[in-house]
Amino acid sequence: MWKWKRKDKQQPESVQQTKKQSGTLSEFIQAMKQSEDFVHYELSGNTRCTISYLKTMCDSKILNRSVLTTLNEESLHTLHDMKERIPVENVRVTSKINLIEEKVMFGYIMIQMHETDEEVVLIPSISLESRNVSIPEVEFSVVGPKEAFVETLNTNINLIRKRLPLPQLTIKEMNIGKVSKTRVCVIYINGIVNQSNVETVEQRLKGIEIDHLTDSSFITQIIADNSNSPFPQLLDTERPDRVVSNLVEGKVAILVEGSPHALTCPTTVVEFFGASDDYFLPWHLATAFRLIRLFAVIFSVLSTPLYVAVLTYHHEMIPAALMATIVSSRSDIPFPPILEVIVLELAIELLREAGARLPTKIGQTIGIVGGIVIGTAAVDAGLTSNVLLIIVALSALASFTTPVYQIGNTIRLIRFPFIVGAQLWGLVGVSMCMVFFIGHLIKLQSIGRPFFEPLYPLRVKDLKDAFIRLPFNKQTERPVLMRTEDTQRMNPSRVNAKRDIDE
Amino acid sequence: MNKLNNSKGLNIPENYLVTPTYVFFLIHSMQVGVGILGFEKYLVEKAGFDAWISVLIAGGILHIILWMIYRLLQNGGGDIVEIHKNIFGKYLGGFLSLLFCAYFTLLAFTVVITFIEVIKVWVFPGLHVWVFAFVLLFLVYYLVSGGFRVITGVCLISVIIGLPILLLKYFPVEAGHTMNIFPVISHSVTDILGATKQSILSFLGLEFLLIYYPFIKNPQKSKKWAHYGVFFTTMVYLISVLVTFVYYSEEQLKQVVWGTISAWKIVEFPFIERFEFVGIAMWLYVVLPNICLGLWGATRIPKRVFNVKQKYVVILFCIAIYFPAVLIDGRPMIDAVNNLSGQLGMYVLMYIPVLLVLKTISDKVRKRT
Repeated sequence: MWKWKRKDKQQPESVQQTKKQSGTLSEFIQAMKQSEDFVHYELSGNTRCTISYLKTMCDSKILNRSVLTTLNEESLHTLHDMKERIPVENVRVTSKINLIEEKVMFGYIMIQMHETDEEVVLIPSISLESRNVSIPEVEFSVVGPKEAFVETLNTNINLIRKRLPLPQLTIKEMNIGKVSKTRVCVIYINGIVNQSNVETVEQRLKGIEIDHLTDSSFITQIIADNSNSPFPQLLDTERPDRVVSNLVEGKVAILVEGSPHALTCPTTVVEFFGASDDYFLPWHLATAFRLIRLFAVIFSVLSTPLYVAVLTYHHEMIPAALMATIVSSRSDIPFPPILEVIVLELAIELLREAGARLPTKIGQTIGIVGGIVIGTAAVDAGLTSNVLLIIVALSALASFTTPVYQIGNTIRLIRFPFIVGAQLWGLVGVSMCMVFFIGHLIKLQSIGRPFFEPLYPLRVKDLKDAFIRLPFNKQTERPVLMRTEDTQRMNPSRVNAKRDIDE
Repeated sequence: MNKLNNSKGLNIPENYLVTPTYVFFLIHSMQVGVGILGFEKYLVEKAGFDAWISVLIAGGILHIILWMIYRLLQNGGGDIVEIHKNIFGKYLGGFLSLLFCAYFTLLAFTVVITFIEVIKVWVFPGLHVWVFAFVLLFLVYYLVSGGFRVITGVCLISVIIGLPILLLKYFPVEAGHTMNIFPVISHSVTDILGATKQSILSFLGLEFLLIYYPFIKNPQKSKKWAHYGVFFTTMVYLISVLVTFVYYSEEQLKQVVWGTISAWKIVEFPFIERFEFVGIAMWLYVVLPNICLGLWGATRIPKRVFNVKQKYVVILFCIAIYFPAVLIDGRPMIDAVNNLSGQLGMYVLMYIPVLLVLKTISDKVRKRT
């Protein structure tokens, strides 16, 4: 019934929008002249024409060496002559106002024969300030490649393409953001990737309604299947090698202009605990380190809640010998365990937050001052027990072992519900909290694929590279999760060909 | 026959289905619940230390019943509601389905109150039941609202987490006397059969297959997994019965209400003693699938019969469970509810062969006409 009304309402809007964009060229120039960095003047050398560009976005080398010299030395009378004579790649003649607007804003040089002409020639001379490719700082690895993404999209794509010289490596580009018109790329390998994953990603990206897109983490939050979840549902990484190995597994990567992080999806919760280092070490060592990391995460989440639970309700569980130690350390403390834990946990969070905001060198000092001085002082003053100090410090340390920064934040915060649960019903409360999170993880999806994957749905094949990492010759198939079109990584019979003694 | 298979409302989209393997976890986790914590006492009262034979017999009977359930469902065109409708017509069939709904609700309710009782007896004598029950039921609602797949996941996790608890049986065995079990078969057949009836009560839970059958992908292949599930449960029960018999003397066991939890008390590690606290906390994982699947099954029947939204029915049932759960107190009442649900479970199990016969007859009659 309301359909016709809605249509009516929509139409004027779209008309307005196109109107706003496609004014006449002179209107555009008038609007641009209000900015000081817009240069617009008539050239009166051999060629008479009007030249306009944004001087802050243009590369002056191209302008001076190629464009101005050609125009001054030769006498050119049409735009097509210019297109042929000017020694710059990809010069084009157009009268589409939308295109002109877009290109000039990116740093193209626009040349008209007369100031009133609608047709122009556009010369690309973009100068982009960018950082050099540097070492990964968030996901540092001791061995292996040490390149990290930067803020320029083209450089980032270059970092990926040079590792995968394949015609099947497909890059789809779109602009997102009403105001910022940020370039966003979807990258995948045709023939490996499941097309439905690509379609889901593209569809969700196209559905984004936002004015400006600062970083890839915006996309993580917007296109996540459950945006109220504390768990990140897209893996973000600053390592091109990690993106490449994910692409080869059949995942889809998303790159955003201006963001030094790539997103890959679909992902699983286990993937957040795998580091690139795991693949650079022999498999048994890598497995051991992975298990240590997993244990560290569990310890980090559960240690203080268990302390609260046991000391508040279940003293009987502590063996007599250990009881003496704990009693002596806690005998002077005026607070119940819960208060003690919350104060100390918040202090650690404070230090961490301060350390993250301060410049690196001061940050380290704060860490040492906070950790050692305040900790010792608190114990000496009788505010916290030294057993708890050890536990809290260790659990803070353990939460840093996660290779992906985003999940580290999650782990930092999910221990607080556990502490509350422990205070309410001791160990039963802790396990209720755990059930809630496990249920939540089972419910979660990453672009429509189960997030808790190798565990539930239980897929034994994918467990080969989850908690443990089997050697490469055992991993001849791509993970089931992505439902890839080509499931074989390599020929298993050739990889595992048996050789006899002395052959 | 073909018409029955295309019944409306049972075309469940593929992304809500589970693979046949999970039937193992669904059946096993539904069978093992709070019962295993203290069922030995009831067996011993009937058949003394010969009761382990009863467990084996009960397991055998359940395999037969499982076979019957599969026979029922194979060409039944869906779940129990559909079968009832085809045999008894819309009204009587709907009424019988609602009886099942009541039974499933009662099972979930029994598990809730028994678990709360365990916590009150063993961990927090002064537990505020109304808060605890609220949080517990909220948790159940959160899981059930995720649908059958999430519940299956909970079943899987519960089996994975429950398995290490079995290893704790090592401690009582180490402290026990193996000779307790002998002499074998010192009781009469009637005694042993009486204990068999008792132990079947602890095995209840596979009848939920009647309602979640349409959610299994390739249900034919799930048959063997269901049987493995029942077999595994039988083995778990057999082991716990034997371990308890080895650990306690016959007279003592008659006095102990929660045999398994009491046996956990002797578990000792250098850093932890009195393992029953951990055990009970972990038992939440074992109990939750019972409540969740129970509530899910119970609420799915009204959805199928009356075509109402399951979301609202779940909330309604949670509230319906909440108030009695808060009000019920004391061992005698909980025992009474347990006995009631056991009796009803017995009737349900006895009803299955009857239903199978009726269905075979009605199928034959229909074929002729």
